Amino acid sequence: MPTPDVTPIIPELILMVAACLVLVVEPFLKLDKTAVVAIALTGLLAYGAAAFALLGQDMAGFNDMVVINDYAIFFKVLFAAAGVMTVLMSPRYLEAHDRHLGEYYALLLFAILGMSVLAAARDLMAFYVGLELMAVSSYLLAGFFRYQLRSNEAALKYFLTGSFASAITLYGISMVYGFTGATNYAVVGTALAGGENTLAVAFATALVFAGLGFKVSVAPFHMWTPDVYEGAPTPIAGFFSVGPKAAGFAAILMMFLAVFEASVDTWTVIFIAFSIFTMLVGNLFALVQRNVKRMLAYSSIAHVGYLLAGMGALGRSGDLLAGEAILLYLAAYTFMNMGAFGVLVYLKTQQPVTFDYTLDDMAGLARRSPWAAILMSLFMFSLTGIPGTAGFIGKFYLFNAVVRADLVWLAAIAVIFSAVSAYYYLRVMIYMFFRESEEEFVVGESISGPLAASLGLAAAGVLFIGLVPARLVDASVGAFQNFLGL
Amino acid sequence: MEFTFAEQLGFRGLTLLTFLPVIGALVMLLFMRGKASAYKATALVTSLATFALSMYLAVVFNTDSAAFQFQENFVWIDSFGINYHMGVDGISMLLVMLTSFLSVIAILGSWNYVKDRELAFFISLLILETGMIGVFTSMDLFLFYVFWEIQLIPMYFVIGIWGGERRVYAAIKFFLYTFAGSVLMLVAILAVVWWHSTDAGVTTFDILTLQEGLSGLPSNWAIWSFLAFFIAFAIKVPMFPFHTWLPDAHVEAPTAGSVILAGVLLKMGAYGMIRFNIGFFPEVAVDAIPYVLILSVIAIVYGAWVSIIQPDMKKLVAYSSVSHMGFVTAGLFVFNLQGVEGSILYMINHGILTGALFQMVGFFYERTHTRLIRDYGGMARPMPVAAAFFSLFVMGSVGLPGLNGFISEFLVLLGVFRYEKVFAVFAALGLIGSAAYLLWMYQRTMFQELTNEKWLALKDINAREILTLAPLAASALFIGIYPAPILRFLEAPSENIIAQVEPFLAQKQSIMELASSFLGGF
Repeated sequence: MPTPDVTPIIPELILMVAACLVLVVEPFLKLDKTAVVAIALTGLLAYGAAAFALLGQDMAGFNDMVVINDYAIFFKVLFAAAGVMTVLMSPRYLEAHDRHLGEYYALLLFAILGMSVLAAARDLMAFYVGLELMAVSSYLLAGFFRYQLRSNEAALKYFLTGSFASAITLYGISMVYGFTGATNYAVVGTALAGGENTLAVAFATALVFAGLGFKVSVAPFHMWTPDVYEGAPTPIAGFFSVGPKAAGFAAILMMFLAVFEASVDTWTVIFIAFSIFTMLVGNLFALVQRNVKRMLAYSSIAHVGYLLAGMGALGRSGDLLAGEAILLYLAAYTFMNMGAFGVLVYLKTQQPVTFDYTLDDMAGLARRSPWAAILMSLFMFSLTGIPGTAGFIGKFYLFNAVVRADLVWLAAIAVIFSAVSAYYYLRVMIYMFFRESEEEFVVGESISGPLAASLGLAAAGVLFIGLVPARLVDASVGAFQNFLGL
Repeated sequence: MEFTFAEQLGFRGLTLLTFLPVIGALVMLLFMRGKASAYKATALVTSLATFALSMYLAVVFNTDSAAFQFQENFVWIDSFGINYHMGVDGISMLLVMLTSFLSVIAILGSWNYVKDRELAFFISLLILETGMIGVFTSMDLFLFYVFWEIQLIPMYFVIGIWGGERRVYAAIKFFLYTFAGSVLMLVAILAVVWWHSTDAGVTTFDILTLQEGLSGLPSNWAIWSFLAFFIAFAIKVPMFPFHTWLPDAHVEAPTAGSVILAGVLLKMGAYGMIRFNIGFFPEVAVDAIPYVLILSVIAIVYGAWVSIIQPDMKKLVAYSSVSHMGFVTAGLFVFNLQGVEGSILYMINHGILTGALFQMVGFFYERTHTRLIRDYGGMARPMPVAAAFFSLFVMGSVGLPGLNGFISEFLVLLGVFRYEKVFAVFAALGLIGSAAYLLWMYQRTMFQELTNEKWLALKDINAREILTLAPLAASALFIGIYPAPILRFLEAPSENIIAQVEPFLAQKQSIMELASSFLGGF
């Protein structure tokens, strides 16, 4: 038996070694967890670097179960960036909550490992393994503050609903296997294109859509999102809002373009309909939130709505542009949303007791810590889609793709919703800049240390993508074209 | 092609002009925190330098040509045909001068106005200036949209932080109105660019290329895109019935904010109509003439009507802007030389006069802390110099011959009259209205009995304030007596605008007669 070529999974191997190393080293450390953080950080950087070094490779491994190509690498680098930002903003936050434990980082790395497999999978089994690894690690991370009621609630809710979603996905997958007798994407796709069992295939499509839709919080499968974001440790909530979402979309793109290619007309309609509903739910509920974390949760649902519109455009036109735009949007979204959560993390570390993520708690922030307020404004403007920021470039490309799929009306709906969203993003600024804090406030220490690095990375990402988008555009174009080469 | 001095030097005039204010703002932020006199001086010097540069460019500018000048073109996002393309024609050159001029006035005028977070205030004004100049100098749709949206942010903060009592409401209303309009415009931009790229085979956001390339646009596309652009700009102008954000924004904004808002931001709407509604969709623009004229006349009459009963001076001036901007849109859409030239000149004059009126109301407010007309009366006694300046600007706004307002009003009315008499009659009604509300306001505030004795102790405007107003007064007089240098900028581009719509105008003559005879029948 020949030794399998491990090249396609080198980045994942690095990540796994780092995660295990964290678990091994952690018991030998007393209070200072710097070594653990360093290992996690190094592991993530090495993972991203290894992925980057493989750029241009196009090979499959392990009986075509996983591949390494520019598409997978694009996501790996994105996950590495999200992971690095999460790790950097965690230590102070966990110390402030007296829960600075090593397994936190191990779980985070395992979640990223799952996401990474999900993006690289070309086989239903590998896909499911990746999905579950991501999901189980996420449940644990959501409940990491196990002495807090809200964190427990978040974990339980996430676990119960998430298990159902996984089961539903699995049911859809098993049906596909039943029809085709294969698990490889390409084989299954070709077999399904044969055109038998159309109704049953549509059913399987719907099941997989529902399951994955849950993971990326498509309305009406979004109910868990605000509660989980609210209860989970804030860096983790930020991570949830970008990492598993990007991974979910990596899988959705793969699944629906490769496996369910035959039923493209069906799923295009599904995506468009759910896109409108998701934009509606996300934006309307975000309007009434007074808790910034919950507002960001609903806003993340709204952003999923825009991405679904991109999927609809992709299905309708088959235009590469739509896929590229989705990748670009995910990248832009990663930086701006991580940044927004990062500012919340900073505020919480400043006032661990009194700060409860409400708008009122943010009143007068511009005086207390002007830099935090300025950074938060940058991220809010980016989420709104103001030019000069990553959010605008993302929306510009995405809506452009939607328009070019002859769905001008859908683009019009999407931009009207983003005008609505301006209200709740601006409201954060109203509190920070236009209102004064009611209580006497302490001028907090300035943003420093790893947290500053994390926020700096997010802000740099937002501005870089916003002002010089050409590089990232090229990257996403390359990644997506490569992906279609399958 | 003849190269100007600036081009020979390799001196990127427009880029420098656009970003000079931001550079000044950065210097202030990095090196002058906490040093009030230093950063104020820097803000003033920066805005003066920007103004000087714009004057220099205007002198070098070749007024005989309708072509865009001082062009700079660099690739920005290659795969999408997005370029960093700058250039100005006569219209945008004038508006750039107006912008840099009023920015100096606004900065000088709010020297002592703001007490809280002063540095941030001046930085916001400078960033705003960059955004506004950028809107007028962009020749790429994408770039235009970027500047169009970016200038919202500093204005939002200017109203929201340094505004009056209901500032938060006014700021968010201002932002959401404009933003909602402009996102629809974004969809229209994407749609026409897409159509052009399928038609011509290249994706480009270049405004001039699109102006030529969109001539074959199917009519339903053209109508929808025209509407999306038009609503975005009509909100900004603001045209009736999209004007409701304006009084709130004006009343709550600090003086400098009002000056800039009335002086420049409103013009961005009319400018957009010229560039895009007429430039991209001349055929639809011709079809839209009756509707635009009706809306303009409603704005003229309604704005004047509402102004008469305003108890608040600032609100009165704000509503008068609605009325006056009606003249701008009316003159623009009659598509004859008098109308178009008059309309653009009207924008400049309105910027000068209304900017001055807001500035003066601000000066009064700083002394009395009230803007209600009934609290005033007899102010000419303690403040004769202020009253003299005020009378000049009021008379200019009313349209007294010899001052700048008259020239543009006359040209617009002439143009509208030549197009269709009935609209001219209604527009003239607005003229009478403006005489009524402005003179009545002047009489009640400056003359009459001095009802409030404590106003006797008020100081007249000081040297700095005179320095703020004098340039405005001088330019009002200059344009009023000798408008030729300004009109020279407008001739070539106005003829260009008319040439764009001419073929459709001739073809649609019968339909228009139909529409206007329908109106004339009343």
